[in-house]
Amino acid sequence: MVGMSIFRSAAAFTARLNPLKRTSQSSNLLSRAVARSEQVVVRHGSHGKRMFMIQPSSFYDRRFLKLLKFYVLLTGIPVAVFVTSVNVFIGDCELAETPEDYEPEHWEYYKHPITRWIARYVYDSPVKDYEKMMALIQMETEKAEMRKMQNEVRQHMREKGDGPWFQIPTLDKDLIDNSLKSTPDN
Amino acid sequence: MPQDYNKDAYPEPPSRTPMENKQTAVPNPVVLITKVFYYTVDLPVSTFRGIVERFRGDKKAYYYHQKFRRVPELTQCQQGDFLCYYEAEMQWRRDYKVDQEIVKVMQNRLKACQQREGHSYVQNCQKEIKQFNETSKAFQSRYGDLGAYGSARKCLMKQKDRMMKEAQKE
Repeated sequence: MVGMSIFRSAAAFTARLNPLKRTSQSSNLLSRAVARSEQVVVRHGSHGKRMFMIQPSSFYDRRFLKLLKFYVLLTGIPVAVFVTSVNVFIGDCELAETPEDYEPEHWEYYKHPITRWIARYVYDSPVKDYEKMMALIQMETEKAEMRKMQNEVRQHMREKGDGPWFQIPTLDKDLIDNSLKSTPDN
Repeated sequence: MPQDYNKDAYPEPPSRTPMENKQTAVPNPVVLITKVFYYTVDLPVSTFRGIVERFRGDKKAYYYHQKFRRVPELTQCQQGDFLCYYEAEMQWRRDYKVDQEIVKVMQNRLKACQQREGHSYVQNCQKEIKQFNETSKAFQSRYGDLGAYGSARKCLMKQKDRMMKEAQKE
């Protein structure tokens, strides 16, 4: 085993020294690592001069575009199919005069069926929104009025000097024990 | 059913067109283009629509035009009555939208008139031009330059300013 490795290393060494001179074919079996680059013969399998076009890698760009296309179409196609089927099978509504004694529901003021659905099941009716806003305004006006009144009362009490907010509670004067200071000789 | 468009505002061209006095033997390209358009675009689209309409069947849904009640305006509100202010503001916004649409209708009429008359629109469309000028001037004097945060209050102040200027002029 050791002898074999010596032969192999010797053949490799000789091959490296003189690569053009092949001693024997059997040396190829022994030597694995042989520098063959100087000996390469360029063989054109075609008629012309084929060039290796050196370009920067387009792998990352193409991968990005593929992924983009995939993720956009993943939800894009079902949505498009859905909207197309709604437009084909259900279709837009027609404008009509409001019949007498009939108050249309708030969603019946829209044309497209998907808008109507959203107005019916997702959004609150505009009347309700209006009333909500008015309720907020009412609460804020009440708060503002309360604060204004409070300020005015505080101002009056401060000016006059008396008033429940500017009184410090003290003990009842009848509870004071005056016996300690009632006679001058205490 | 909603009314058809106003036939007086958009008059149709006369049915008896005068004889064409063609100076050239070249066929009118517009006629050719309209024929091409009809056969390549109009017919397929109309047949497709016919097929689609058959899918829908006879169940038709309707949508209506919402009419809002009039509420007291900003000048009729008590001071400090913020609810009244809010309702007046909403009404003013709706009126603003309506006025914008009115100006757009006037613009459309003028455009249609110009298209109909061709090069002689300057003298034939006087009525439409006058109408458009009046409406756009009125719109500009009422709503113009209010800015992005225009409100009923600002519009009222603008009106007050206008009235004061008019009073000063006299």
